Amino acid sequence: MVTAIQSNDQVALKSIYTLNYPKVEAYILKNSGSKEQAKDIYQDAFVAVWSNIKSGKFEVRSESSINGYLYTISKNKWLDYLRSKHYKKTTNLPNQEFNNHSDVNIDEKDDDILKEKRLENVMQAFKGLASGCKTLLTKFYFEKKSMETIAEELNLDPASTRNKKYRCMQKLREIALKN
Amino acid sequence: MNPNNNISQELLEMVERYLNNTMPEHEHNAFENRMATEPSFKTIVEDIKTLLFGIEKQALKEKLEDFHKAIPNISPEKKVTKVRYLYFKLTAAAVLVVAIGSFWFSTQNNSSQKLYTKYFSPDPGLATTMSQNSNYNFYNAMVDYKQGNYKSAIVKWKQQLINKPSNDSLNYFIGVAYLANNEENEAIPFLENVTKNINSTFNRDAFYYLGMTYLKNNKVELAKKNLTFSSIGNSKEILLELDK
Repeated sequence: MVTAIQSNDQVALKSIYTLNYPKVEAYILKNSGSKEQAKDIYQDAFVAVWSNIKSGKFEVRSESSINGYLYTISKNKWLDYLRSKHYKKTTNLPNQEFNNHSDVNIDEKDDDILKEKRLENVMQAFKGLASGCKTLLTKFYFEKKSMETIAEELNLDPASTRNKKYRCMQKLREIALKN
Repeated sequence: MNPNNNISQELLEMVERYLNNTMPEHEHNAFENRMATEPSFKTIVEDIKTLLFGIEKQALKEKLEDFHKAIPNISPEKKVTKVRYLYFKLTAAAVLVVAIGSFWFSTQNNSSQKLYTKYFSPDPGLATTMSQNSNYNFYNAMVDYKQGNYKSAIVKWKQQLINKPSNDSLNYFIGVAYLANNEENEAIPFLENVTKNINSTFNRDAFYYLGMTYLKNNKVELAKKNLTFSSIGNSKEILLELDK
């Protein structure tokens, strides 16, 4: 299962996705959310689970542990969301404690924030990338297809596919840097 | 990301081989050595890593839309519009009913009370996080509320309301607490404040509990009206039962 996730096996990902959604939706609808919100929260959670498995932050022991993890993250994200809306509304009074966060790990935190920001920039850049580049890069980096397979699928020869991939990466980097 | 770092095709592909673990051992070792001794090289590797991960993450996000289409539409949320439609029919029917007379009303009183008892449960309240200091008083009262000490919660919240008369959380929970404490007439003005605040998180919940308040008071028309606006919880079921 971990290998399937590492390699973005779409059949496996899709089955995990569809299997776990109904339970999360039921939970969010029961707790004053809408279907649209359930979908958003669930997709966020799904990406977080995927990302944590890939980075080794979450160690998968069995398939059912993924399901439980996905449900827990969704639930926490929803509770966070409810709390944050509430938080915004009830902190109109001056709050002396607000700026007194411990600054022990401030450098580390800043570094994390910076990394997160860079990643966000890349994602935004990729989102708006021209579709030709997007297709090619998705096939290569997400679907993990070989250059030969991609060349065949796109009716190109492998050498120009390789070149095109490089140019697309440069383009992506350029846009991400501008953000 | 450093714009001054030019990344050649060879460099990109080398880093990719490193990240994919497809380097022969000697090359792998040399690569790691270089990262350890050359900070600017390490930065380039990190940048490329971010690029690749960003592509994967965004591509996955976009794939999820496809995945989602495979989910059968089972839950009943979309019935809201139907219920609204029903409401117009309901009011029309109710107007006739009013004309029928007081006998009907007395039976209706009974049944609305029954419905109230069947369906009412107080708002579960908010998670009490004591870390937010400025909200300490609010959450302190929330603990009372959750333990069913509605009177004590109301007293505390009302004190806070003096400084923040239009705060929707306070108005909402005071209203709900009154209702849970069987003081429905007291509940009405507080819940009404929140129903008027369409931006409030509690707006739809307030309509719901205001509807429940009127249900308890045997004001069936007002109950229906407010429940229709809430479209949460079991309001649909109650509306359907009221229509029976």
